[in-house]
Amino acid sequence: MNIKMKGLLAALLLTAGQLSAQQNDKEKTDFTPHLEHRIMAGFNFGATAPVGLPNTIRKINSYWPEFSPSLGYELGYRITPKWGASLGVKLDYKGMGTKDQVQYFSTIITTEDGGTFAGQFTGKNKTTVRNAYVVFPLSATFAPSNKWRFQLGGYAAWLFSSNFYGSVSDGYIRNGGPTGEKVMIDHATFDFGTDVRKFDIGLQGGALRKVGNKLEVMGNLNWGLRPVFANEFKGLDFPLYNIYLTLGVAYKI
Amino acid sequence: MRLRKLCYVAVLAGSMQACIKDAPINPEADIETFTFDKSQMASDVFIDQANGAIMLYLTPDAYEKGIAPRLTLSAGATVTPASGDSLRFNTADTHQYVVTSANGLNKKTYKVEVVNIGVWKWDFEKWMLNAKDKYQYVINDDSTVFWSSGNPGIALSGVPKDPKEYPLRATTEAYHGAYAAEMVTRKGTALSNLVGIKLFAGSLFLGVFESKNALFEPLKATQFGQPYIGQPLRFTGYYKYTPGANYQDKSGTIIPGMIDSCSIYAVLYTGSSRLDATNIHNSDRIIGTAYLPDGSARENWTRFDIPFVLKRQVSSKEKLMMAIVASSSKDGDSYKGAIGSRLVLDNLEIVHQ
Repeated sequence: MNIKMKGLLAALLLTAGQLSAQQNDKEKTDFTPHLEHRIMAGFNFGATAPVGLPNTIRKINSYWPEFSPSLGYELGYRITPKWGASLGVKLDYKGMGTKDQVQYFSTIITTEDGGTFAGQFTGKNKTTVRNAYVVFPLSATFAPSNKWRFQLGGYAAWLFSSNFYGSVSDGYIRNGGPTGEKVMIDHATFDFGTDVRKFDIGLQGGALRKVGNKLEVMGNLNWGLRPVFANEFKGLDFPLYNIYLTLGVAYKI
Repeated sequence: MRLRKLCYVAVLAGSMQACIKDAPINPEADIETFTFDKSQMASDVFIDQANGAIMLYLTPDAYEKGIAPRLTLSAGATVTPASGDSLRFNTADTHQYVVTSANGLNKKTYKVEVVNIGVWKWDFEKWMLNAKDKYQYVINDDSTVFWSSGNPGIALSGVPKDPKEYPLRATTEAYHGAYAAEMVTRKGTALSNLVGIKLFAGSLFLGVFESKNALFEPLKATQFGQPYIGQPLRFTGYYKYTPGANYQDKSGTIIPGMIDSCSIYAVLYTGSSRLDATNIHNSDRIIGTAYLPDGSARENWTRFDIPFVLKRQVSSKEKLMMAIVASSSKDGDSYKGAIGSRLVLDNLEIVHQ
């Protein structure tokens, strides 16, 4: 994973460099490469979700974004009038809640006292996710005009606080698997917060649009490429990814 | 721009809903019900889903003539032999049903066990191991299952899969023969703590464990009693008891000065359906009881001989059930007791008139 990340960063830098080199050849204006500083604030909307729903999820009854602020600083380097690169550091909350109905949903719960419970659940589920990360996004930037700037790149994120909990209700679990004995579930809770991975990496890209002298509005999609739970974790039998859209403002300083 | 983005989000959310795939084909292979004429039953049929057994308690007449049970299965599943086929018991044949799930991937085999009410005397010599969850259970000399315990429920709480982790198990510390039944109250598990259960008392009872109620209505999971014929006089046996050091209430708080005690009792009641932990002491179907009067510590093997106190005479025509219940913590049904309380039981008998 680490190697992948390094590769990604290298590729980005290389691309940005090459593009800027091309630009440099064409435009010989009085442009001088310079740094740009931005404070960015916004909210994350999205989901910690499987890419393609497994057939054990039968219905999504509701979805809501959790209070998920994003606050950060971005250092941009404009190499040519149009091309540049940026590196940021931000604090990102990524959260959501969902209520759904599942059928034959496999789960294995391992506890710290050495016990395990494996089974298949059919019934209702409610899950709330709210994870906080320190994120370092790195992008190539392209500004076709004074009003717009687009960016595309990757990010690396370190978890510093995690919540992944919920409840199951109005259903039954089969002990061990589909032929195990049926046990009715009225209401039971689960908490997988401590199982959330400490490190996430992904792709991100979006746009800034100038709306004032120093103010811009921002939209940026962040797509995690690393499942939020390790492969050894069997609470869910499919991988979840952080897929969040940041909507907010940027202020040039 | 912002509006457009929001539209994308809406589309994304909408498309998630559209991504719902076709329902999985049913992988379940249960016999859900097994019915025949009630007049042929000494007691209700019990389907032991955890151990794949159908337990029949037949009248002598039904045993002679056989039965033609009707089965209902998990949706889409198939079974051999078919529902409605006759079962005969006066041959040496054993009977079993094999259910295949609708998706064809899973098969579940149920043995048909005709539980004969023979001698009301137990030495707890034969023990079996549950294949999946590794808890022990005691069987009669003819291999039928007559006794049950809380073990199948505790198996659902994520205890390590080891017979010694379960509160009921065999011990070689026997009064007579090679084995006796040992019950030790143990602490709850990380999972049981989530639902507020901090302690599991050891239990052994005549009856069955209805797994489906284990989490939702645990007091209705322990189904006490087996069909009984005759009129009981006394309930006898041998036991040893050592209370654990610290008595705790349901929340796990230690109550200083409180000492745990065991409970051992037998209850005779009318009818053919079982009483459970919610009504075994107070149902109006109860005809007679035999309670161990003092559940305090007994270091050495101690004999008890308790006369049945009957409220009325038993009619020769009525269907009867007899329950025997033993627990290493008297208030274990409300998750109170002392961790480590240990009851050892051997040579139980119901003495008839």
